Amino acid sequence: MMQDAIPEKARRQVLKTGTARTRSYRNSLKKDSSLYLLALPGIIVLILFAYLPMSGLILVFKNYNFNDGIFGSPWAGFSNFEFFFSSMEDALRATRNTVILNALYMLTGTFFSVAIAIILNELRSKWFIKVTQSVMFFPYFISWIIIGAILFSLLDYDKGIFNQLLTTLGWGQVDWYSSPWLFVIILVLANIWKSAGYGAIIYYAVLQGVDTSYYEAAKIDGASRWQIITKITLPMLIPSIILMSLLNIGGMLKGDLSMIMGVTFLNPLLLPTTDIIDVYVYRTAIRSGEFGFASAITLYQSVFGFILVLAANKLAGWYDKDSKLF
Amino acid sequence: MPNTESKGLLIFFYFCIAIFSLICLVPFVLAVSGSLSTESRIAAEGYSFWPRGFTLETYEFLFGSKAQQILQAYSMSVIVTVLGTVSAVLVTTAYAYVISVKGFRLKNFFAFFAYFTMLFSGGTLPWYLLSTKYYHLGDTLLGLFVPYLLSVFLMFLMANYFRSIPHEIVESAQIDGAGHLRIFFSIMVPLGRVGLVTISLFYALQFWNDFYLPLMLVSDQELYTIQYLMYNMMANIQFLASGNAAQVGGAIIAPPLETAKMAMTCLTVLPIAVLYPFLQRFFVKGIVVGSVKG
Repeated sequence: MMQDAIPEKARRQVLKTGTARTRSYRNSLKKDSSLYLLALPGIIVLILFAYLPMSGLILVFKNYNFNDGIFGSPWAGFSNFEFFFSSMEDALRATRNTVILNALYMLTGTFFSVAIAIILNELRSKWFIKVTQSVMFFPYFISWIIIGAILFSLLDYDKGIFNQLLTTLGWGQVDWYSSPWLFVIILVLANIWKSAGYGAIIYYAVLQGVDTSYYEAAKIDGASRWQIITKITLPMLIPSIILMSLLNIGGMLKGDLSMIMGVTFLNPLLLPTTDIIDVYVYRTAIRSGEFGFASAITLYQSVFGFILVLAANKLAGWYDKDSKLF
Repeated sequence: MPNTESKGLLIFFYFCIAIFSLICLVPFVLAVSGSLSTESRIAAEGYSFWPRGFTLETYEFLFGSKAQQILQAYSMSVIVTVLGTVSAVLVTTAYAYVISVKGFRLKNFFAFFAYFTMLFSGGTLPWYLLSTKYYHLGDTLLGLFVPYLLSVFLMFLMANYFRSIPHEIVESAQIDGAGHLRIFFSIMVPLGRVGLVTISLFYALQFWNDFYLPLMLVSDQELYTIQYLMYNMMANIQFLASGNAAQVGGAIIAPPLETAKMAMTCLTVLPIAVLYPFLQRFFVKGIVVGSVKG
């Protein structure tokens, strides 16, 4: 979640490939040696936990056994892919769940964050804004496992608050923890509850930077509050909304394992809708030890995710050149 | 800015925000109330927003029989949070400084080297295999924080702060003969302290809340963090509740499970809730700088 925004400047920095200055290599190495020293720990962490795992994707072509390890295990050709396609159903289910859940999170999350930011922007009472903003931001600080525990007290069949309420209303109880499709709604609501306040702060900050003369001009022209919102405030937010969505689309095939673990505890009854790719990998690989197969899924996830990033970037470029990520 | 007309809409807006804020807080009331209720009444009547049969029994139980385990997990969480935050902040700010140095020929390369990891990753599995089999991080204290030492997002955030420091200060220090190490530690770190506080808080929160690393790497009970202890407790309760336990066998002891869960929830959230009012504005400032600047 913290990866929601990359600072504009940093992106520009990344864009400018090729250095203009051509200094003597040895000279600069000596002058900049302390810089390499400072960057070294970060480089090591990136290599160990991001770059080397990428090379681990060769597992797809290996018949993994624990003793020989990633690089020592015998080659398996494409047999893992055969296996992958033979149990296509599960893989497709996992893909479908990941995409559906992420798309729902993105749509509802963006909608609520933007709506809250726009409404906050209309309110005048400074202390009210401050207090409510702090309160709405708070759930962002709570881990999924705690949210899972609290949700349980809301949703439990006998003891949960929701079912108590439904019984009082005479509607009978609902078995939330064995209703996979109802639980999608629960997950979406939980996601809104946890992150809408956080998102709202980002959009609200953007609105604070808007030139007030737009509003003054609109007021003189006699625009209504609703017109001001739809004709000025919302358009101002669109570039940020696009940027945020772009960043999210890249992660479309990445699920939030902690969320599903924390909220459903891998409850088998809920798996039809909660078995996202990361959960699937965790179940098949880390629990059952089918490494080659699981890495075929991982490769597919990474490549597909990368393609999505490129496609989304292209799409943004059509809409507006400045909205492109790279 | 807005007009005074359409008062109704404005009132509606106040109402919406107030309701959503309430919804953000109410679940915690439920947790506190649950932890102060008696187990038997929760079992019979269910959870409620007002303690059922107000009692401190659950906390007495936790601090009596489970004290050892909870204190162990609590202190493990504190250790991981402190060690993790300090080292992550060092690694991150150093890297951020390097990519923010004006005129350093490889700064774009280093920036991209970090950025690329946000686009493409090897996924959970190779990560897990490398961490356990090659780096031997399984069941070690290091395994609980080392994988998170560089958050690329926070690194870019910090680099933004460094770029906002006037270049003239650095130049004059260079003329006086200061090297990069000197400039980093005695100029950039003190001047970038607002950014430093922001990313420290984000890291601290991440380390405190994490249960992914223990889930993947830890089986030794001594290394359980409070979040992971909580996870295990919840998973066990689900296991009991789902009826699978019937096969496991007769002796189901009846500790105050439901109320204990809520009490653990309160204990886990407590440090965050206590510090939140003081620290919240730094988070907000951090997000604002990270998203708007540039």
